[in-house]
This record gives sequence, C-alpha cells and structure tokens, in this order.
Amino acid sequence: MWQYVKKLQYPVNIQRKDLKMAKALLAQYGGPDSELAAALRYLNQRYTMPDERGYALLTDIGTEELAHLEMLGTMIYQLMKDATIEELKEAGLAGHYAQHGKALFPTDANGVPFTSAYIEATADFMADLESNMAAEQRARAVYENLMNQTNDPDVLAPLSFLRQREIVHFERFKELRDYYLQKYPKNT
Amino acid sequence: MNNCQAYQKYNYYDMNNNMNNNMNNYLNNYNNTNQLYDAYTGFIRGNMFPKLYDPYKIPNPYEIQPMNEQAQLLTHLDALQFALIDLNLYLDVHPEDRNMINLFNQYRVQKEQVKKEYENKFGPLTLSSDALNTYPWAWINEPWPWRNQ
Repeated sequence: MWQYVKKLQYPVNIQRKDLKMAKALLAQYGGPDSELAAALRYLNQRYTMPDERGYALLTDIGTEELAHLEMLGTMIYQLMKDATIEELKEAGLAGHYAQHGKALFPTDANGVPFTSAYIEATADFMADLESNMAAEQRARAVYENLMNQTNDPDVLAPLSFLRQREIVHFERFKELRDYYLQKYPKNT
Repeated sequence: MNNCQAYQKYNYYDMNNNMNNNMNNYLNNYNNTNQLYDAYTGFIRGNMFPKLYDPYKIPNPYEIQPMNEQAQLLTHLDALQFALIDLNLYLDVHPEDRNMINLFNQYRVQKEQVKKEYENKFGPLTLSSDALNTYPWAWINEPWPWRNQ
C-alpha cells in the first residue's frame, strides 16, 4: 500500500508564469520517458523480478517516481495558473485549454495523451533492467533539454534535482543488473 | 563495500551549521569520494554520493532559502527524508553494508524527531501524526504541497 506525505520531495515555489515552459514540462508529466511512465514501468515490473533485491529496488524507485510526478504537476500548475486565454493560445496551449482548461492532464509536450504503450514489462528481468537503464538515460537527456529552455532559478532548481535523480537511479539499476549477471549466468 | 568507515565521519547532521557554510567548505570536506555528503548538502544536489554527482548547466546547486520558521523546519525534514530515500535505494542493492545500515538508522531517528517537531508546530504531514488529535479535523489545512508558499 501507499501512504501520503503532505509535502514535496524537493520544494517547488515558482513565482513567474511561463506558458511555453509549462508546455515543455508536459514531456516529463505524461510523455514516453515521463515520471508517470517510469513509476508505472517499475511498479509493473517488480512482480517478475527474480529475488528480493529486485522486489525492493523496483518498488522503491517506482515510489520515488510518483513523488517526482507530483513535483512536475506542481511546476506545470504554478507556471500556468495565472495565464490568460490569450497567453495560453500564444504558447500553443489552445488545444489543452479547450479540452482540459487549466487542469493537469498527462500528455507529452505536443499534447499527445499518455499511453501505457510507453511502459515496458517483459518478465525477462535482464531485458527489463537494461530497458530501465536506458529509460533513465533518456529522462536525464530530456531534463537537459528542458533546462536549456529556461533561466528561471525557481524552475532550474527542481529540474536539476530531478535530473540528478535519474543518474542515481541509472546507477542502482546497473548495480542490480551486474549482480544478476553473476547470480543468474544462464539468463544472459 | 569498500571503505565503509569513511562515511561514519559525517553521520551527524546539524542544520544550523551546514546551511550557512559556503560551497568551498563542502567541496573541501568531500574530496574523498567514498564519503557521503551530509543530508542537506546531498539534498540540494539530488544525491548523497559524491562520486555520482554530475551537475549540468548550474555549476553550484541552489541553496534552499526558507522564508520563515515553518519553511526552515520543512527544509530540515526534507533533507533528512532525502538522505533516507537515497540510502534506501543503495541498501536495496547492497543489503550487507553494515555501516550504511547504521547511518540509515541514525538519519531515521533524526527524521522522526524533526517530523514530530514540525507536526506539533505546523500540523500533520501524514495520517499517522499525533497532530491529528485536534478539532476541527486538521488534515485539510493548508499548506497543500502544490500551492505557492
């Protein structure tokens, strides 16, 4: 089960609205390498990990990704909440506004709705772990693309935190993969 | 794991000292990559392990700048909870690292103390808090996390 902690993992307190940045950040809210995709990917894969280290790591990283999804939602909400309809249209968010108003809704940065097709789960633990290593790398690259689009410290600080978490998760998945390579040589 | 002794030097988190130190002090302290950052230094970097720290665009991490006592205490809690999360992931893959287990438990005790202090002053953060034994129901009260502070 899960229990809610009524705070963010890292503080988000954005003072300046920025609709284009809000739109770009949707990449990590509901895109292919988003925090939502990562959370669901790991939380689905955990059932078919081969031992307790895998059960634990996939559960715990999957849980942390849910906290990251909450940070992204907070960033997008704060960047968008004071926007006028004109500003939303200028930023390319007319379609989002038509269907969802200023609600949070998981799409990618181009408005493509989230799909479970983004989630890899094969029951082959080596395939899944190596896929996760690649997913963490892609997410890190997306965070760099996002950081390139802003100079607002209120936005850069949480993005920098989230990018570094992808590096740590990559390392832990790699360590688990390397451990399994030794423990289960027939599977490689 | 190798060099387990090294992180024992930095087991004690003291917010008042650490938050006011400048970057040079941190870097001087952490030249040995087998040492861990303290909780706040790790928190603002997004990891407790100096050898994994790989900044992009921003040469130095942003300091958290709490605007009031509530935000300051929350930052203290955020840092301790972050240390627990990062050590938890490490321990999942290195479950026989006794020194890291000790460090985890030291942070866990500190975190519980700070959480209790925060909740007594500013209201419940979880539904297991003693701060819920109040009238009217305090869980609904601001701040909710996505709202600007």
